[in-house]
Amino acid sequence: MKKETGKNLRELGYFASLGISVALSIFIGLGLGLWLDKKFDTDPVLMFVGLALGIVAGFSNIIRAGKKGKNY
Amino acid sequence: MEHPYLFLTSVFGLFGLEEWAAHHPHVTYMWFAMIILIVFGWLAGKSVSLVPKTAQNVFEVVISGMEEFVVSITGEEGRKSYPLLISIFLFVLVGNLMGLVPSFYPPTASVNTTMALALIAVGWSHVVGVWHHGFKYIKHFLGPVPLMIPLFLPIELIAHTARVLSLTFRLFGNMMGHELVVLILLMLGGMFLAPLPVMAMGVFVALVQAFVFFLLSTMYIAGAIEEAH
Repeated sequence: MKKETGKNLRELGYFASLGISVALSIFIGLGLGLWLDKKFDTDPVLMFVGLALGIVAGFSNIIRAGKKGKNY
Repeated sequence: MEHPYLFLTSVFGLFGLEEWAAHHPHVTYMWFAMIILIVFGWLAGKSVSLVPKTAQNVFEVVISGMEEFVVSITGEEGRKSYPLLISIFLFVLVGNLMGLVPSFYPPTASVNTTMALALIAVGWSHVVGVWHHGFKYIKHFLGPVPLMIPLFLPIELIAHTARVLSLTFRLFGNMMGHELVVLILLMLGGMFLAPLPVMAMGVFVALVQAFVFFLLSTMYIAGAIEEAH
């Protein structure tokens, strides 16, 4: 396998998996918040905290990918 | 949707295990994939000679080509993880291709198998990280500024959980969807060979999904090896 092809494939894999990781991060944060809410009986508070954390985590993925993409 | 007929389930039925096998087709077919891989590995390693002959040639080209590919991503440190990565690739490939054989159930179309594989791959990437950086590996999770650790730690933990789930659901969704489409088309127009084009595309899907799983686990290991940002 040529070196350039390998590099392109690697970038393809990385950027192709970006979308699903953003969506899943938000759902993981939400699910975590809901679960902790049930556990500590603080109904809506931790859900919003978890949701915010999930959204931030998802978007930090995009920012990191943007920094990586600057090299081109 | 239930499979109309599964070959291994009726084989297990000979030993009186039909009910168990019918409920766990992913387990029995995973064993079958393992048997295929072990037999191929035994055939390839049976007569290793310095000047390779036909079969050994093929295996050497595939295995060493992939090895160079992995090392070009992870650097020289990743060579030790290569046996795990190529095993994952071959197992997922064989498992996916099983879906194309009539009366076979692809083990990767069950969320149990794919989640186990994803947990192994991501878990191993953390093991490699601890191995290379020691206790300092925790810096990967803490972000650049010490003051912002309470913010960064949960964010990074969520991002790492998302890796496991994205690996799990990509493979599971693709294979289960393919299996379902083939079954439905077989029911609707099996007499007119309706599932044939989807099955032809399934060869491509199986190869691409196996490669993507392998590539992403390689990249997670590469991310664990590199220095913290």
